Amino acid sequence: MRFAFILKIATLILLRSWRATAVLSFMVITAVAALVFLSALAVGTNDAMIRNSTGLFSGHISGSGISASDAGKLQVTGVEQVLLRHHRPVILSTSSSLEPATLLGVDPLQEQKATAFWKKTVQGRYPAAGSQEIYLSQDSAKRLKLQVGDRVTLRTHQSVALKQLTVSGIYKTGISHLDQGLAFCPTTALPPGAQELSVALFLAAEAPIDEVVSTLRRRLPTASVTPWMEFMPDLKQLIDLDYICMAIVITLVFAIVSVGISCTFLIFTLKNLREHGIMKAMGFMAGDTALLLVSQISLLTVFAATVGTLLGVLIVTVFAQIGIDIGAFTSHNQYFSVSGMLYPRLTGLALFTPPLVAVVFGLAAAIWPIVTIIRKNPADILRSV
Amino acid sequence: MITISSLSKQYVSGRGHVSALSDISFSVAHGRGVILAGKSGSGKTTLLNCIGTLETPDSGSIICNGVDICGLNARQRALFRRREVSFVFQSGNLLPWLTVAENLQLPLELNAITGADQRHRIEELLETFGLAGYEKAMPAELSGGESQRIAFARAIAHTPSILLADEPTASLDSENGRQLIELMFSLCHTKGMCLFIATHDQELLGMAETVIALKDGKLLPAAPAPTG
Repeated sequence: MRFAFILKIATLILLRSWRATAVLSFMVITAVAALVFLSALAVGTNDAMIRNSTGLFSGHISGSGISASDAGKLQVTGVEQVLLRHHRPVILSTSSSLEPATLLGVDPLQEQKATAFWKKTVQGRYPAAGSQEIYLSQDSAKRLKLQVGDRVTLRTHQSVALKQLTVSGIYKTGISHLDQGLAFCPTTALPPGAQELSVALFLAAEAPIDEVVSTLRRRLPTASVTPWMEFMPDLKQLIDLDYICMAIVITLVFAIVSVGISCTFLIFTLKNLREHGIMKAMGFMAGDTALLLVSQISLLTVFAATVGTLLGVLIVTVFAQIGIDIGAFTSHNQYFSVSGMLYPRLTGLALFTPPLVAVVFGLAAAIWPIVTIIRKNPADILRSV
Repeated sequence: MITISSLSKQYVSGRGHVSALSDISFSVAHGRGVILAGKSGSGKTTLLNCIGTLETPDSGSIICNGVDICGLNARQRALFRRREVSFVFQSGNLLPWLTVAENLQLPLELNAITGADQRHRIEELLETFGLAGYEKAMPAELSGGESQRIAFARAIAHTPSILLADEPTASLDSENGRQLIELMFSLCHTKGMCLFIATHDQELLGMAETVIALKDGKLLPAAPAPTG
């Protein structure tokens, strides 16, 4: 028998038994739409963690061992912002206390444009460009008993006084390596002496970080160029874990949905048992019956998965615009140190995995009804129904 | 010619072994109409199912066009049914999701009769059965008599060599039933098909050329068909 005719019968069965079709479709549509949204939400959560972790201070790529003359080589395709930071080890001293620290000379305007560090100010403000000001962590300020407006003396490790700076602001990030042993001032306020240069590179959205890193490593063979995945392996693992959890959720949801589809489809098929018996009596072979049932469930799942995907895309589009604020649950989480807003984002994987899995599981769900019908003797069917 | 020799079939049920057919033998030439008469449980349906390869007998043979169809495997039996056999059941013969025309299309598709030949054949059948204009009607919209006529039209659409009808008039009034049986006999003569009708309707016996009576799975001695 022609495949086109079997396909036609399958379509007509679905259309003319529209109530059963609608029930089965609703199950798949709901599952696919929910999973497209959940997949996009997982991507959005990972985006937020990366954005928060890299956007606070470090950038997507950090570099060290770079001379100021090589700074121009850092401008490669995909790099949106380059921040130069001059490191100068000093002793911060007041009349009563001493505190060793690495003083970072930064360009305040560029820093405030590219990072969210200034948002972590708990008192005062970020140092102004060209000023003789210093920005201290809350822990350091407490140990040194300093307030905004107080002056702090910078000394060498040999206790030689270099210069005095005024405390412009106090910050607290909640991230220990930023809250301990660091202080910031405009580059122009750095005391003279041996300095090291580090760079923080911020990439444009969707920029291929691996390509940028390899280009930089080619251009600056003696420098150390490190992407965030290497200097924040914990975040990388967290993101991988998130994807694994999402894959498990998708598989489990569809395993459950496919059992539901299989049971419902079996009931649907058994409701038409007499008709299957008549078709077998007319000379339908096992392959014809299997093809008919596979066509039915394929058409149904492809249709429902398409509608479910479109519905999922619609929901993602809405939430991508308005965002989801989970700030109340992330205030003490270092991966959400800047903002608790999530913006679901669709990727190829998030978009196509749920419908693809739906179709595959749908086909698996057809096995039980197919085996049931094929194994039944047409005479028994016609006698019993 | 269909030759049935020493056909036996037993079922295993809660009551133990039940002999549905016991040592049945007879022959029927093509173009002949046979009525299988007998009460419920006499073995009529089992005999039809064996001839139609829906069931395999325990012993004996059914030779159809020189082939013992009892020896066919599942695939060969399905192919045999597709090409050589058609069934008309008591009721619910039509596939409810297909229109009248699509129901008629089914056996034609199964036998690779497509395109213009198919369309012409469907039109011809509807004309013959007085159902022209019913192409797009759904089975649920038809009366019992119309349904059975369509079922019969579908059964002969691809001109099988054997037509098996199990109580085809049971759901019809006597007038409609008589008309259907007359049409069946007439068309089977014309097309050269072997027609087997299982019935316990005594009124129909007079219409048959041959009556084979069954009781408890056994063939009763031949009796002349009632006339009238």
